[in-house]
Order: sequence, then structure tokens, then C-alpha cells
Amino acid sequence: MNPTLNYRGQLAAVADLRWRMFVNGLRSKRAKAELVSRVIVTIAFTVAGLGVFIAATGFSWYLVSQGKADLLPLLLWPVFFFWQVFPVMSTAFTSNPDSSDLLRFPLTYRSYFLIRLAYGFCDPASGLGTVGLFGIFLGVSFARPTLLPWALLVLGIFALFNLILQQTVFAWLERWLAQRRTREIMGVLFILFMLSFQLIGPMMGRMGRKPRPELVQTVRIISRVQAVFPPGLAADAVARTSEGQFVGGVSSLLFLAALTIAVGCLLHVRLRAQFRGENLSESGARPAVAQKQSLQLGWKLPGGSQVVAAVFEKEVRYLARSGPMLLTLFMPMFMLVIFRLNPANPMRGRSNFISGTPELAFPSAAAYAMLVLTNLVYNSFGGDGGGIQFFYASPARFRQIVMGKNLIHAGILLVNTTFAWVAIALLWAPPPLALTFATLAALLFAAPLNFTAGNLLSIYTPRKRDFATFGRQNVSQTTVLASLGTQLVIVGVGFAVFLVARLYKSLWLATLLFLVLAAITIPIYILVLRRIDGIALQRQETLVAELCRA
Amino acid sequence: MDTAPTITTQGLTRRFGEMLAVDGIDLHVAPGQFFGFLGPNGAGKSTTIKMLTGLLAPSSGRIEILGLDLNANPVEVKRQIGVVPEGMALFGRLTGAEFLSFAGRMYGLDRETAAKRGAELLDFMQLADQPKKLVTDYSHGMQKKLAMAAAVIHGPKVLFLDEPFEGVDAIAAGTLKSMLQGMIARGATIFLTSHVLEIVERLCSHLAIIHRGKLVAQGSLEELRAGVEAQTPAGEDSGVSGEKLTLEQIFLRVVGGERKTEELSWLG
Repeated sequence: MNPTLNYRGQLAAVADLRWRMFVNGLRSKRAKAELVSRVIVTIAFTVAGLGVFIAATGFSWYLVSQGKADLLPLLLWPVFFFWQVFPVMSTAFTSNPDSSDLLRFPLTYRSYFLIRLAYGFCDPASGLGTVGLFGIFLGVSFARPTLLPWALLVLGIFALFNLILQQTVFAWLERWLAQRRTREIMGVLFILFMLSFQLIGPMMGRMGRKPRPELVQTVRIISRVQAVFPPGLAADAVARTSEGQFVGGVSSLLFLAALTIAVGCLLHVRLRAQFRGENLSESGARPAVAQKQSLQLGWKLPGGSQVVAAVFEKEVRYLARSGPMLLTLFMPMFMLVIFRLNPANPMRGRSNFISGTPELAFPSAAAYAMLVLTNLVYNSFGGDGGGIQFFYASPARFRQIVMGKNLIHAGILLVNTTFAWVAIALLWAPPPLALTFATLAALLFAAPLNFTAGNLLSIYTPRKRDFATFGRQNVSQTTVLASLGTQLVIVGVGFAVFLVARLYKSLWLATLLFLVLAAITIPIYILVLRRIDGIALQRQETLVAELCRA
Repeated sequence: MDTAPTITTQGLTRRFGEMLAVDGIDLHVAPGQFFGFLGPNGAGKSTTIKMLTGLLAPSSGRIEILGLDLNANPVEVKRQIGVVPEGMALFGRLTGAEFLSFAGRMYGLDRETAAKRGAELLDFMQLADQPKKLVTDYSHGMQKKLAMAAAVIHGPKVLFLDEPFEGVDAIAAGTLKSMLQGMIARGATIFLTSHVLEIVERLCSHLAIIHRGKLVAQGSLEELRAGVEAQTPAGEDSGVSGEKLTLEQIFLRVVGGERKTEELSWLG
């Protein structure tokens, strides 16, 4: 006999599942260490929540009591942004427990919908957002006690809107992140979104130089536009009611409620599709017309062995198919453009350091190129995943495999440095010859050192990398610290060399000193490369276990 | 015909901390044998195959492949063997053709031969009609076929397969079986683990059964059958009313798998 479905029991079982997952997840030392960091984060969130609450209460009380309720959007927009953007930035690109796994059980659609909303409500962003809204509610109510029920209704609907919108965004993100191609596009868009923040500075700079009437006009337009969006509508509903314009207040609230229902419908569409068992499998049916490909020979490297050439080709193909990684690697170009667009800091009234001292542009760009490359160099087997077993099973020597990987790293550095030189020549002026040679000599010293450390750390502390994602999970904490240490050594030595060169007023001296240092780091690199087979064999189990993890 | 064993192990042992995963096993696989290596879940099959292919270092014991000590000559041994390990060891962000060309060159083939053999294998495995599809987008069965193709591209003398038919449909399984039988006919030796006992019974000429890390039986199917029948107490039927014991029955007798059908009475 089948037992009757007990919905409360199901919801309790899901809550218990989450708890058991959390407790069981603490069995490893790593998880325990993460618990400590979670406790610290929770304390930070609590303090932040308290701050948000006090600020929201005080500021909203001030605005309403001073008859400036029309400025309430200044409080509601930050709450809205935080509630929506923070969860996406912190978790969308890492692995999340998949609530659709629950669909194998006899859940009703209603239970499923509620579980999704409950997941959302447990999110720290929702918690802080709710605290902020509660603070605004208290502030408004203290200032005008007659507004208490109205503010409760308006802010309650606004909170519901935020909760539903957050889950809608997540549900659609899940849809897009479920497939490799869309996941990569999302990764690129995410990076572009983050980069677009860099453009705020130049834009502010240009705004700051505009005459005041134009600025006022822009603010007026923004103010009018924001009023038709949910934070503006919620603020408008409270503000108008406080001014006795009940019809206007009610119509704003109705509009907000309509938007909440509309977003709820979007969430419903997504969750309903999941509930009905949508298949996001990427191994689709074969095309009706079979495609044939002509025989394509592998690449050949002049002077390089078959294995080195094969690994080099494989690495190039991997990179070419990784939008987010490629974008990261070519970030130095973008930064140069940013510096060029933003010649002066409007807040401090002085120029940025590259525009102020353009002779620093080339060494800075080269150093930055080296820095972004460490992302790849210090976890060079991370992208191979289960393929690491192939390396171990094949008769190839690890030194050849590592050399193939280092060749592509050196190639990227060379391309980036060349592009940087050309970009600087076009944006400012060609870097002086002595500086160019000093920088190249510095790279000749720094690259082998980074490659040596990177090769060792790639074997000692590997971390499986998903080329399609962009986030902190791509390298281990040990690697981050060791990489930081290496960079500090390199920067310290580089600084000392340039200081000596300045003392003797000759950049050619810096070139010479860097070449002497390179004569030390290059043999170290070769020495470690020769021993890499033994090290890889010794670390075989760790490497395979970490990279073959599902 | 050369009868010196292709694969020999002596006291092969592997510990994981306190746990003894493989406990001093002595294997002998003759040239040209289709050798099935069986055992219940967690018995030590994958650990053994990893040690035999150099993917895992033994805690103690000796391995000889084609007369070469694996510990002393890992590169030479690897050059002559092919492996489809548990995780298939694929590079997801290459196309099938790119991966096979890469695999061939890693095994020392020149560019032309690697590309040509890769194309032939893709054709044979019916993977050639979507040349731009990345391996990560292949179905599980397609990935298995590709892993198999990569394992044989250099024409190995010994092939090690860990669960080659797991998750593979009947058509793909047929393709794989015909390729493996062709290799045996041309003198190669195949060592495979599988849970699908019907396939093992049909393909393998010789078998070994591992249970809790120890080798509990080794020989041809007939030898194993005779061994089990000899251990059956007098008066007890060794088979089903006089019929020959199937591999499944032999396996269950050897590893002591008992089915408690009287339990879970609420089912059904």
C-alpha cells in the first residue's frame, strides 16, 4: 500500500536533508577550515546587517519626518541591487545544490515552488535585504505612525518581489549554465559585466567635467526613469501616501504588485518546465545530414618533439575554446585602454599613475601580463581533468608534457607583451629602447621563476578547473599563497634592480642585472624540469584523485 | 607459439592506509588470451588494473608485462599497452579527431599516421559524422567508444579495459566486441574487468576472480566450473538439473553471494 503524501513531512525532510548535508560535509579537515571561514563571514554579515538596519531606520526616519519622502529611492535601490546582484556574483558561478534533484520524489508542484522560494529566503542577501527593508519600515513608521500599515504592505510586496525576482534570475541562470555553450557565453558576459565597472571611473570623470545644468538635467532624467522600476514604485507608493496623494500611492503599489505577478509568472514558466522533467542534455540527436571532415594533421613545432607539439596544440585548442580564460589573459590590453580613457581622477583632481608617468606603462603592462598568466601557470593540469590519467598511461615523459604547457604560457606572455608595447606606442608614445630591453630582461628573469614554481605547485596542489567558469575555485588556497609569495619576491627584486639603475642613472644597468638574474633562474627552471618526472610519479595519486573528481 | 606469460604479477599488494585493497595476488595471463577479471564491488579490480597499467604504484609485489618489469621499464611497457581506465581519461575540450590525433602522437606515431588511424577509428566506431562536436558533449557511450579508440590507436600488444561495456548500448557493444575479437585473432592479449557476466562468459577464454583483495579463482571457464563442482557437497545439485553451471552461478559460488529472498516481504 502506498502511503499518502504528507507535504509538511516532505518540506521537513528537505530541511533535514540540507542539515545532514551540512553536518556530513564537515567530516574533512578542509570542510572544517571552511566552517571557520563561514563563521567569520556570518559574523561579518551580522555586523553588516546591524549596520544596514540602523542606517536604514535612521535615514528613512529622517527623510519622512523632514518631508523628503521622495528621496526614499536612495534607500530602496541599494537594497534592490544588493538583493539581486550579490547572490549572482557570489554563487552563480560555483556549484550549488540542485533543487531539481528533488523531482524524483512525489513532490507536488506547489511544494516544489515553495521549496525554491524557501531556498531563496535562506540566502544571506535575502536576509540582509529583509533586515534593510525592516529598518526602512520602522523608520517610516516612527516618523509617521499612521503610515505603518501602508508601509508594511508596500515594503512586504517589495520584499516578495525581490525574493521572486532573485529566484527567477537563478532559475534562468541554471537553465543557461546547464549547457556548455551557454555557460561559456554567460562566463564571458559575467567578465564583461565586471569589466564594465571599470568604465564607471572614466564616465564619472567626463560627467564631472560637464557644466552643472547638464548634470542636473541628467539626474532629473534618471529620477524619472527609476520611478517606473520596482524600487522607485515602492518608494513612490510610500512617498505619495505620506503627502496625501492616495490615488497615486495606490496606483504605484498596484503597478508594483503587477510586476511581482509578472516576474512570478516567469519563475513559474521555468520551474514548471523543470517540474515536467525538461532535458537539458547536450548530447543531442545526430544531425540528419552527416558531416565529414578532411584528414587534419597535427601541428609541428620546429625543433620540438612529437609529444611537445601535441601537448602545445592541445593547450592552444583548449584556450581557444575558453572564452572566460582568454578574456582574463588579454586583460592587460583592456586595462591600458581604461588608463588611457581615464587620464585624471576627478575625485582627487590628479592624474592616474600611468597617465602621470607614461614611462611606467610598459613595465606595468608586462608585469600585469605575467600576473594574469599565473592563473594558468600555477594550476596547469587543472583543465585536463580526467585526462591526467591519459598522461600517466601514455609513454610520454612528464617533462615533455610540462614543456609543451610552458611553451604556450611563454607564447601568451610574448603576445601580450608585444601587444602591450604596440598599444602603449599608439595610446601614449613608444616606450624608450632602454626601458623596453630592461622590461624584456625582467620577464626573462621572472618567467622561468614563475614557471618553476607553477610547475611544482601544479603537481603538488592541483585543483580541477572548469575552463567555462570564472571564479575563485580554480586554484587551491596553498597555490594562491605560494603564488603571492613568488610575486612578492619578483616585485621586490625588480624594485631593487630599478632602484640601483636609477642610482646609477642607467636603465641599461637594469637590463644587465636582470640578465644576470635570468642566468640564475633559467638553470633552476631546467633543473626542476629534469626532475619533474620523478615528482609527478611521486604525486600521482594526489593528482589523479583531485583531477578525476566528479 | 610463445607461451611465456604476457602479464605476470607476484605478491601484488596495495594498501590505502589501514585498508588492504589488493592482497598479494599472483596473476598469469598467457599471450593471446581474452582474460576476464571479475569481482564484486570494492573487491580490488580497478585498483589491480591501475597497478598493471602504471596508473597506481603497488605497495609491494612485482609486475611483468611482456617480459618487462613495469617498475624498471615504465615507458617501454606503456608504449606496448593500451588502457581504458575507470574514468576513461579523455580531454573534453577537443573534438574526437583532435583527441585521437593527440593520443596517437603521445604514443609516438607520426602526424600522418596518427591522423589517418584516428579517422579510420572514428569511422569504425561510428563517431565520424559529427566532426566538430567536442568530447565533453559526447554521450557516455560515445565517450566509451572514443576512449577505446584512443587505447588502440598505436596497435598495442596488450589492452587493459576497465568496465568497457558499462553504459554502452547494444549496437556500440557489438562494435566494441567485434573490434576486440579482431585484436585477439591477430594475437593481442586483452585484460578486462566487467560486471556483465554474460559478455565475459561469451568473450573471455580465461578468468580470474578477486574477492576482498584476494585472488580466489583463476583459470579457464572449464577449469573454474570443474573447481566449483568439485567443491559441491555430495548429493547437492551443482547446476540446474544437470545443466552446466553458468559463469554467474560459478561467480556467486566462489564469492559466496547469497540472496535472502525471504526478506523485504513488503516489496511488490
